[in-house]
Amino acid sequence: MLDAYIGVLVLWPLVAGLLCLVLRSPGARKALVLLTSAALAVCAVGLASQTPFTANPNFLASEGTLKVAEALAIVFPAYFLLRGLMEKHALVIIFSCLQLALAIWGMMNMNEPQTVQNAVVCDGLSVTLALVVAIIGSLIAIFAIPYMQHHEDHLKLAKSKQPAFFLVLLAFLGFMNGMALSNDLRVFEACFEATTLCSFLLIGHDNTPVARQSAFRALWMNALGGVFLHSGVLLVQKQFGVVDIHAVVNPALWTGASMLPVALIVAAGCVKAAQMPFQKWLLGAMVAPTPVSALLHSSTMVKAGVFLCLRFSPVLTNTTIGAILALSGAFTFFAGSAMSLGQSNAKKVLAYSTIANLGLIIVCAGIGTPVAVAAGIVLLAVHAATKGLLFLCVGDMEQTIGSRDLEDLRGMVGKSPVTALAACAGALGMVLPPMGMLVGKWATIEAAKSNPVVMALILLGSALAVVCWVRFAGTLMSGKPLPTPEKAHHSSPLTNMPLMTMLACAIGLGMAAPWIDALMLPNADAASVFTTGWGLMPPLFIVCLLAWMVGMKVLGRQTAVPQASPYMGGLPSAEPGTFVGALGKNWALTEGNEYATEIFGESGWTKFAGTLAGLLLLAMVGGAFI
Amino acid sequence: MNLTTFYLAVAGLILAPLVGGLVSGVDRVVTARLQSRLGPPLLQPFYDVGKLMSKIIAPASHWQGMFVRWALVASLAADVVLFAGGDVLMCFFIQAASASFVAMGAFSGSSPYSKLGAQRELFQMLCYEPIFLVSVLCMAKAAGGFDANTIMNAGAQPLLYKMPFIIPGLVFVLLVKMRKSPFDLSACHHGHQELVRGVFTDFAGRDFALLEVAHWADVVVILWICSFLWATGPLQMVVVALVALFVIILIDNVSARLTWRHMVKVAAPLTFVLAFANLMWLYLE
Amino acid sequence: MSFLKKSQIKSPWLLHFDCGSCNGCDIETLACLTPVYDIERFGIVNVGNPRHADVLIVTGTVNPRNAVILKNLYDQMPTPKLVIAVGACGCTGGVFREAPNVLGGVDKIIPVDVYVPGCPAKPEAIMDAVVAGLGKLKGILEGSK
Repeated sequence: MLDAYIGVLVLWPLVAGLLCLVLRSPGARKALVLLTSAALAVCAVGLASQTPFTANPNFLASEGTLKVAEALAIVFPAYFLLRGLMEKHALVIIFSCLQLALAIWGMMNMNEPQTVQNAVVCDGLSVTLALVVAIIGSLIAIFAIPYMQHHEDHLKLAKSKQPAFFLVLLAFLGFMNGMALSNDLRVFEACFEATTLCSFLLIGHDNTPVARQSAFRALWMNALGGVFLHSGVLLVQKQFGVVDIHAVVNPALWTGASMLPVALIVAAGCVKAAQMPFQKWLLGAMVAPTPVSALLHSSTMVKAGVFLCLRFSPVLTNTTIGAILALSGAFTFFAGSAMSLGQSNAKKVLAYSTIANLGLIIVCAGIGTPVAVAAGIVLLAVHAATKGLLFLCVGDMEQTIGSRDLEDLRGMVGKSPVTALAACAGALGMVLPPMGMLVGKWATIEAAKSNPVVMALILLGSALAVVCWVRFAGTLMSGKPLPTPEKAHHSSPLTNMPLMTMLACAIGLGMAAPWIDALMLPNADAASVFTTGWGLMPPLFIVCLLAWMVGMKVLGRQTAVPQASPYMGGLPSAEPGTFVGALGKNWALTEGNEYATEIFGESGWTKFAGTLAGLLLLAMVGGAFI
Repeated sequence: MNLTTFYLAVAGLILAPLVGGLVSGVDRVVTARLQSRLGPPLLQPFYDVGKLMSKIIAPASHWQGMFVRWALVASLAADVVLFAGGDVLMCFFIQAASASFVAMGAFSGSSPYSKLGAQRELFQMLCYEPIFLVSVLCMAKAAGGFDANTIMNAGAQPLLYKMPFIIPGLVFVLLVKMRKSPFDLSACHHGHQELVRGVFTDFAGRDFALLEVAHWADVVVILWICSFLWATGPLQMVVVALVALFVIILIDNVSARLTWRHMVKVAAPLTFVLAFANLMWLYLE
Repeated sequence: MSFLKKSQIKSPWLLHFDCGSCNGCDIETLACLTPVYDIERFGIVNVGNPRHADVLIVTGTVNPRNAVILKNLYDQMPTPKLVIAVGACGCTGGVFREAPNVLGGVDKIIPVDVYVPGCPAKPEAIMDAVVAGLGKLKGILEGSK
């Protein structure tokens, strides 16, 4: 049964995607995507119910699969090289050549490593990522059905590119699952490269000059990540002759050995997770249709990077590399939060916040203690749901009003109340207790108690994030009061269903955080979770529930009575958003947020933070030599 | 959780707003005396809240009542956590939630001044949160734990000796949090006009009264955490809180308001760096 | 008398609106806040927002331009509310009542509870007026149970 679950999770999405490509009809596509989503969710839950376990499914363990994985290590870079040559993109050419050279050198010179005992080893971390991909990723894929229809109607394409789009989108989910579950570094690497390919194709999907530019930027950065990963993997093979991931992350293996491979692998994770100074590829990814950016930001791609770091965290405990990694993660959290504060572009706010929160998870990986890693996994899951929700909401609002600027989204609660309120819930869920993000952040701070700089950076970032998200939610709630909410612009059930499910996931996961945390800890620690601060959460939920009920009652009461006229320094207001001023005329009132760009401006911070973060990353790799 | 903790929590729920109201009354009397006036009765803040409770006024937005009550609940929850000896960092995060709800309520109001005030409130949060939390980290480091009980039982020597450089930071936080000059940017404590009391523009009647109660609860939390600095006994802690209160009132009376840019660019970074230096010192020691 | 009702008498917050005054009465009104008169003894605070105010103090004459604002401020105040017209101009229009742009006293626009004569009105008289207004409010509250 387990093998079947794994087979569906890893292979079925690719098959379904290919069927989408062959069948081409929108009806079949819809049915396939819905079927795939349901199948993925069921199988992931099935896996979760059996965790922890080991398995040896034939399609991942067989000799043939390993040959395919090794071949892919050459095929992918070769394809990247080809695209790089076609586009004459120097960086892509250089890094894909390097990847190719490494792959070929590895093939020629490496001895056959020890056979991997179990092709699949599923622990809490793997199953969390698999669940995130299967549920959050699927919801985004469902959201993409009406969205892409609308998107193509808007672009007036002669021939629909949706079959290819859904092929890549669905295959992406399969590769992510493969990465989460596989225990063989070579298979892992093949999936890792496959996600690079998928993200490249998805970002460039619209094929506009901006999209192409962003896609190639993503490609060269992730190819560089691939170089790091591959050289790390080769070094591991050379040092120990092992490719079994769970054997590699055993700290006992590394006593006295050079940590360089770990540093390289972790650096690859940082690139994938869009940590500074590699944040630009993720920002560029926003030119793609919303489902793509939602997928890249919440459930796939960047999560692959933090997954890799968390996977290697046992090796990082109490090492120089781990300390520097934690520092660079904390710095990214701080800088990313600061940059998201200075943004008025709603999607950039989301993007910088993603970068920041991934930094936080990287801090957990760098600290590497079980408590920190459990907090990291909680953050990973809750962030995926919350950020996915926010992206879908912003995407939906963008299609409604045709702008993604926060100032234009002012008062969305009057225009499309459901989406706007869901976005507010997501935004507040990012920063307020007792939701999982804040609790995870708090647990990270306390786990980092031996490192004051990391703690201080997280505190700064946290304050910045609160301001950013409360302002985001507040802006959606403010604006001209409309007497009756207009009917939502397009309320396809396939838009609303993923949104509402995602909202439920975000809130549910946020509230379930203490229990997830307890599940992720080794038995000795798990018992003590509820005696620490996590134990505060359940009573807080009850308080929240009471507050919610009181709030709803008051909301009902206040909605029933007429509202007061707005206070405008004493001037009367005849219509919403105006005041009666000079000449007895109605003067329009314009409002705007303070973004403090003089302090949190993007360009200055990009230079400053990019340089510093780059130095930290170099120091981390250098730390391996100490 | 044992029964004592439960009693303490209930005490926090009931006592904190009462003590906060008294603090506010003392504040008004002392301020008046400093200005050689007689001032209002000590219980004036309670009369104010009672009066506001009995007023009848249409809401400026139907969301505000909800956010006000959420803010009140969060403030009281922060009190309860602290009284029950819980985690100080979490206590402060819960209080930040309260401040966030106030800002949300102001954002959802109809007056432009209200939204302006909300922005100012947020920038104030941006400034005081990290400073206060770094101060808490200093205390936690010196005491060896993050919960209130551990910090209060840290030892015979007052924590103050180990962390003199967090004092400017704490004073800054108190000034902002108690809405005192020179950093009373969003909700000046005195009766003032649109800009410097912007965040409260749209709250009125019962909603405003409940916000005032939430503010009292907040003040108790902040003053109590400050009194950890000399936690050798209950009396000493009360004295520290009173001294802090007096210093804040004094500064309020002798200083003029600064701009929010000054707060974000000068005052906050400066006090943060001092507090952080103290933290580093504790770690390197 | 319940605590809530008693509170209404003990905590009147003032909103001061200068309708068209020569600033004489305004200076006298603000003088009430100074240590000499210390109006805060009665729990009185000078607020800048009609939504928080209980007592509206109006100085000066009413003209067509500021009549709208006066009416709007009055409407934005929560009930129960008191209005005090301060100075000769506020009460009746004063020496300006025949001017072509002057409508007259405050009571042409909104109901006035207490009139304070004088040009300018004395601070003591203004404080007396507030206390008298509160007496009136007390009567209403007691009557309403």
